[in-house]
Amino acid sequence: MKLQKQNLLAILTLSSLLVVPAREGFAMQDAEQHAEEQEVGNIAAEAEDHAAEEEQLDPVHHGSDSYYLDFTPIGKLQLPRIFLVRGNDGSFGVEVYRSTDSAIDRGGYLPKMEEGVHSVLDAKLEPDNGHILIDFSLTKHLIFAWLSALIVAFIFIRLARMYQRGIGRETPPKGLFQNMFESLVMYIRDEIAVPVLGAKSDKYLPYLLSVFFFILTCNLLGLIPFGATATANLMVTAVLASFTFILTQIGGTRDYWKHIFWPPDAPVFVKLILIPVEIMGLFTKPFALAIRLFANMTAGHLVILSLIGLIFAFTNLFGPIVGFGVVPISVGFALFINLLELLIATIQAYVFTMLSALFINMAVEEHHQHVPDHRESDLGRLVEAAVPVESLTS
Amino acid sequence: MNPLIAADLLAPNLGLIVWITFTFLALLFVLKKYAWGPITTALAEREERITESMEQADRALSEAKKLQADNTKARKEAEAEGQRLIREAREAADRLRSEEIANTKTQILTLQEQAKQEIERERDSALDSLRLEVADLAINAAEKILNENLDESRQKKIVADFLSTLSKN
Amino acid sequence: MDPTALAYLGAGLGAGLVALGAGIGIGHLAGPAMAGIARQPEATGDIRGTMIIAAALIEGVALFGLVICIILVFK
Repeated sequence: MKLQKQNLLAILTLSSLLVVPAREGFAMQDAEQHAEEQEVGNIAAEAEDHAAEEEQLDPVHHGSDSYYLDFTPIGKLQLPRIFLVRGNDGSFGVEVYRSTDSAIDRGGYLPKMEEGVHSVLDAKLEPDNGHILIDFSLTKHLIFAWLSALIVAFIFIRLARMYQRGIGRETPPKGLFQNMFESLVMYIRDEIAVPVLGAKSDKYLPYLLSVFFFILTCNLLGLIPFGATATANLMVTAVLASFTFILTQIGGTRDYWKHIFWPPDAPVFVKLILIPVEIMGLFTKPFALAIRLFANMTAGHLVILSLIGLIFAFTNLFGPIVGFGVVPISVGFALFINLLELLIATIQAYVFTMLSALFINMAVEEHHQHVPDHRESDLGRLVEAAVPVESLTS
Repeated sequence: MNPLIAADLLAPNLGLIVWITFTFLALLFVLKKYAWGPITTALAEREERITESMEQADRALSEAKKLQADNTKARKEAEAEGQRLIREAREAADRLRSEEIANTKTQILTLQEQAKQEIERERDSALDSLRLEVADLAINAAEKILNENLDESRQKKIVADFLSTLSKN
Repeated sequence: MDPTALAYLGAGLGAGLVALGAGIGIGHLAGPAMAGIARQPEATGDIRGTMIIAAALIEGVALFGLVICIILVFK
């Protein structure tokens, strides 16, 4: 109980630390905005209007990526915008602005206020001269991906330093920190890498560990207040799945490629059907990885926010008294889903890592044909059996 | 919820892909070099050490067991040896005692025999000396009788007495 | 009928069917797994690991369907 209190205190202190500079940032932003508003005038005023309009809770909007960190009700911290622009005269240029507002005010970008877009912050920007080739702007999910990368790097480099100092190398591991993370590392190694990949586990273990802890941290960051889940972005999961895909193809043995382009033990006309299915299966595997992680992380947040949104829906429909009445039910369910999310965050990180290991193993395994004697081959057959089904549905 | 923003969930964002790719590559590189390398080698080293020490312990245990077995065997042998010695000693003692007893018995017998013979001899010599004495006495008595003039009857009586004493012996 | 309405209808029905299919699939998976664990408690770890993987594969198929439903609604 005492420990929990301490933890709570620590969290409060941390969050206040986080919030204070953010607030200063906003003040600065606001001052700048106001100063520029007078110069440029109507566009910024329009932006203000739209900002004021956007007050209602939108679960999908909350879960999707944005060009600001959302600390509502304190405010929004706009992120730098970086554009690779191709001018009308055919020249390339990189333009950097400290915020979306700055891009609009100083850079002469025009927000395209399409239907349903309430704020300039969500709008697509168009340069006055030429068009954006690639939008390298920092986004919420990118910031949180960086944050989790930093956290993972910090934790494990610290852990590695402990081992280098000899703690845990010659002596038993010491303290909560080392024991906790060591057991996680050992779990990935002994339950995922070694049983699945066998002798080749050494080669792929660093990748599996990195991907597991990166995804886990991303998932968990989404559960803290003001946090965002980087893995609830299809781009992020697609990149991670691509890494698995590339590793799989690089490691592929002759047998693996032969299995795809000229499947053994089948009549020729069956082979002709199987080849496209196998090639599709090649791409559906990482696609399924990406979609699975993305959908799981998005769905959880959607459900939580929808449950919280019920409060406002009921308030709007039946008045504030009913709204208050719904609060305990809503919050109770949201809490339950939140706990479920905690479980799912871990399970999905595990599943992504496990399936990555299995896919890699299917490619790098030396084929012992018809020798289903050990556990990994069981899992391998399971995956192989499931893949054609997936390729048909996609 | 509006369709346009919701579609953002699935919309591609090339810039983000590039950023994340580099981020993850950097993370992979940094972790592989500074974290997983030392951690996995340290863990492997520790495990090796543990298995080694376990093997060592196993070896030491088997050695100790062997030693113990040797000791037990030696002890048993020593015990058996001791037993044997004791048995032998007892047997020797028994033999000695019985021999001693037999010796003593024969000695006693010889001594008895000697004693008997001595007694016999003594008796014989005593008898001889008695006979001599009696003869002396008879001569003396005869002398007396002769000297004192004996009547016929008295003489007869003395001779009869004398003869009875002789026959008694 | 309004095509948008039809799309919404299709998406809703599709989502329902996807949930149904995934539910049946995972149910079929989890029941025997539980029975297996009850019969052989010492194999709990193996069974659980394999079950999670298989569940993830079923879920993957379901999510493909779900994504198509989402695309139906929003595109």
